[in-house]
This record gives sequence, structure tokens and C-alpha cells, in this order.
Amino acid sequence: MDIKNYSDLSSLEIDTLREIGSIGTGNAATALSQLLGKEVRITLPEVRIMGYNEAIEWIGGPEIITAGVLTQLGGEINGIMLSVQQMDFVKLVISEVLGEPIEKFEQLREMQTSTLMEVGNIMLSTFINALSALAGIAITLTVPAFAVDMQGAILEAPMAAFGGQSDYIMTIGGNFVCDGKQVPCRLLLSPDVRSLNFLLRKLGVMDE
Amino acid sequence: MSEDKFVVGIADMKLAQRGDKLITYALGSCIGICLYDPQIKLGALVHIMLPLNMEAGRKNAFKYADTGIRETLAQMAVAGANRTKITAKIAGGATMFALTGGMLGNIGQRNAESVRQVLKREGIPLLWEDVGGTVARTMEFDSATGAGTIRSYGQPVKNF
Repeated sequence: MDIKNYSDLSSLEIDTLREIGSIGTGNAATALSQLLGKEVRITLPEVRIMGYNEAIEWIGGPEIITAGVLTQLGGEINGIMLSVQQMDFVKLVISEVLGEPIEKFEQLREMQTSTLMEVGNIMLSTFINALSALAGIAITLTVPAFAVDMQGAILEAPMAAFGGQSDYIMTIGGNFVCDGKQVPCRLLLSPDVRSLNFLLRKLGVMDE
Repeated sequence: MSEDKFVVGIADMKLAQRGDKLITYALGSCIGICLYDPQIKLGALVHIMLPLNMEAGRKNAFKYADTGIRETLAQMAVAGANRTKITAKIAGGATMFALTGGMLGNIGQRNAESVRQVLKREGIPLLWEDVGGTVARTMEFDSATGAGTIRSYGQPVKNF
């Protein structure tokens, strides 16, 4: 039976989405590992259904400056996928890929932003390719957009996109560990409710 | 007399009086609307996310520009505000991600248009706006004066 709201998901359905998060984030970690030339592991993937303000507290508060890479999903499902890159992740990527230190977002120049955008894009595409193969569905991605700003406003983008359908935002995703440290880069997949029904049916966990 | 600062979340509204302050963080495509009755020094800050409420049941009024502004005006009236004295100042409606079309196409701009139109219909003068662009805004508002500030990343503070 179709769900009308994210909160209607059964525990089996949540487990399935967590597995998607695990496989998607795992593939993205492998891609990141190749880019950095270092081992990258993932932490436990999460499926979260949160109120708007709860989601912003969960990601660390509204005013922290972060980089966001955002792409819209099309094809057989609709949704938004976001890579939220906090400063420690930016430091890691810029120092490993470009071989230069960086301390603050204010130091980002064109070369650094295009690097962050490309790294984000590779991770998002890898995640989506894994999902697409797993569920046997065709998913297209738009050219990614990049922003450096308060993370509350960055997280607002997927909220506003589905705000007319739900008072909650659902995110599927995970975090990375590199050099024994947790690296704050979250990959967040937010499908709309209709696409979520379609996806769960394709994966065989929802009855016709 | 101690003055407090109340945080207004997303799709949320709070009233403040006697010099209490209101703040809402990181407005992206969302819009913060400060409504103020200077005579009784009653302020309200509402943080809306979308232009028009077309939800069945219309449960969450403050998520939308139209129902959010109207519900705020109703609550201000209950708190003793004189409708003819109330004025508005607004900020937000940015485009955080430059994508054309799709689900996010111009949400900020559509929010701004809806807020202006609803204020006009309700007969509330719009005294000041800082709308559009590509940066997030934190809006703070003082019920003692009706004045406030806008903070953005990498930009000087604006006063209103």
C-alpha cells in the first residue's frame, strides 16, 4: 500500500532505505578513496525523518558555513541529492587533491571551488548509479550547483522542494571516516513521497 | 526588566513585546517577515517557506506566505495590535543554488512576490525589503524600536 507521508514507513521499508544508504555511501566512499589516494570508510548509514528545525540542529546548527553540492534527480524518480561539506572535509579534499593547505572558506578560489564541486558530483553520481543498478530504474542527474553559505539555508533547498507535500524531510545517507577521523561530509538523498513509493515497490518491499 | 531573545524556526512565528528580540537564522529561499505595531511596541516575526498554501487541511499556516501573514495578523490583533498601525519589513528569498527550472526553480522569487501581494491585499505597508540575491540571511528584530539587522556570510551587517 502506498504511503502518504514519510512517517508511514514500516520498519522493513526503513531497513531497505538504510541498505540503499549503505550501498550508495559505500560506493561514494570508494570513489572518494580513489580521488584522495587514501582509505575512506563509512560510518553507519542513517535514514532519518525529521521536522525542519530538528534537521537543522541534527546537521550542526543553522549558521555554520558549509559548502553544498546539489543535484536534482529526474527520470523514473524525483528528488534532490545534496552533499554537505563542512570545513574539515574541505581541508582534507583541498590538501590531498590540490596539495595546498586551506583554513577558511574565505580562501576558496575558482580552482578550489571547482575541485569541491567535482568531488561532490562524483560522490553523488556514484551513489545514484548504485541506487539505479540496485532498483533497476533509470535516474538522471542535473548538472550540479554549488554554494558556500550558512548550512541552514543550504538544507532549506530540499525542504522547500517538498514542503508542499510534507512537514518532514527524509534523508538517507552517511558520513565518512578517513585517517581514523570522522570527516563531516554528509550525502543526503531526499526523494519525494511518490518516488519513494515507486522505489520501494521496485525493490520488492512494498505490496502492489 | 530583562529582555529575552526568541528564536523563530522554519515555518514558525513568534510575538515579542517590551523590548524582547526575535531572531530567525539562515533564511535562504525562505522569507522572514517582521510585522510591527509601534504604538504598543508589539512585534512579530514569521519565517515562511513557500508562496501559497494549497495543502489539504492547511495545518501548518506559518509554512506559507499567505496563511502565515494572515494568521500572524490575527494573533497580533488578539494581542491588542491596531491593524491600521502595523507595518512590515521583509528579508530572504535568495537563490542558493543556481538551477534552472525543476522543483527549485525560483522558489525565492515566488516567495517574495507572494509576500508582497499578500501584504498589499491586507493593507500592510511594506517599509523595507532585502530580498533576492544568492546569500543566506539571519534576521534579528527588536520589539522596542521595530528596527533590526541582517547578517550574511562575507558581507557587512545591514540595519533596518
